Amino acid sequence: MRDYWLSKLFFDLQSSPALGEEYRADRKKILDRYPLKPEALAAVESNDVAFLASRVNPYLLRFYFVVAGMPEKEFLAKVKTAGADAAARSSHG
Amino acid sequence: MASLVGVYASSHAPLIIRGWKDISLANQRELSSAMTELGRRIKAARPDVLIVISPDHWVNFFINNLPSICVGMGEMHEGPAEPWMKECPYKKIPGHPQLASHILQSAIEGDFEPSVSHHLTLDHGFCIPLWKGGLDPLPPIVPIIFNDLEPPLPSVRRCLQWGNMLAEAVRSYPEDLRVAILATGGLSHSIGEPTMGEIDEPFDRECIRYFQKGDERPLLEFLNDRLPTIGNGAAEIRNWVAAHGAAGKRGFDLIGYCNCPEVYVGCGFASWNLGARA
Repeated sequence: MRDYWLSKLFFDLQSSPALGEEYRADRKKILDRYPLKPEALAAVESNDVAFLASRVNPYLLRFYFVVAGMPEKEFLAKVKTAGADAAARSSHG
Repeated sequence: MASLVGVYASSHAPLIIRGWKDISLANQRELSSAMTELGRRIKAARPDVLIVISPDHWVNFFINNLPSICVGMGEMHEGPAEPWMKECPYKKIPGHPQLASHILQSAIEGDFEPSVSHHLTLDHGFCIPLWKGGLDPLPPIVPIIFNDLEPPLPSVRRCLQWGNMLAEAVRSYPEDLRVAILATGGLSHSIGEPTMGEIDEPFDRECIRYFQKGDERPLLEFLNDRLPTIGNGAAEIRNWVAAHGAAGKRGFDLIGYCNCPEVYVGCGFASWNLGARA
């Protein structure tokens, strides 16, 4: 399933370099504009790639973390771990 | 009557632009040579109009309104919006509303239901192969966006039918016009998934062999079977399938293949031989 407002946040951030800059300077100010569910907000605040990966398009996920400034190596490691976690969860029913 | 003078396919990996200096010299040479040759072939075909089939990478469309297939009939399109594409020479890209309109009409009459846009932004998917192929100035472009990114995606079979229909639409266009088709995207890659960065060269090579053999049914069976098992970027091979359908099962010529880990993509470049039936 897609989380619409989470997806919208990511979409807007990658669409507008100015918004991306504003976001890097003050995440909270931008996040306040989106009606995010508490768990989605917490995942954004803690860079919880595994949680976010299950709720947005993978390309948007990748674009978001480029805008958010996460180093590529860190993103690759986290998204790999997210996959392993998801596989473990599904194999345990 | 219009004629189809060329059908081509090309990968469009963003890191070809965004991370060029990090690509090994050998791969730089391979990519440059393939992209230059692709551009040379397009130029040699002297198209008056180029139909370009590419996905939209979250530039024009979002999940509040996400067409499966959209034909751009604007008089003018915007050049790429990505900040890292700022060196791209295409700021405004001329369209060809007359051919686009004829394609849309042919689609509707053929029981297809495309979406329509009168003003599209053509992202890196459209522009990297044209730019790096040295197409400057550009011929007018009729952009066709296939949703290769966000499920549900159009079926591979439907993409082939789109290609068949496009060729018919070109043939039935009443004015004398030389038209070429360029499909962009693929081959294997994975973006934002746990397998990100993995390239499946055996898949790519096998896929290329199916294009070379030409028969549609085994190609569709192979893709239906394998696409769900590999990275999401390979979904863009749908665009190649449309090109294959448009070329009418005639010879496929691989210009180049580069397993290029620096850009995360198994990069493929090809043209179809329209001169003789294979």
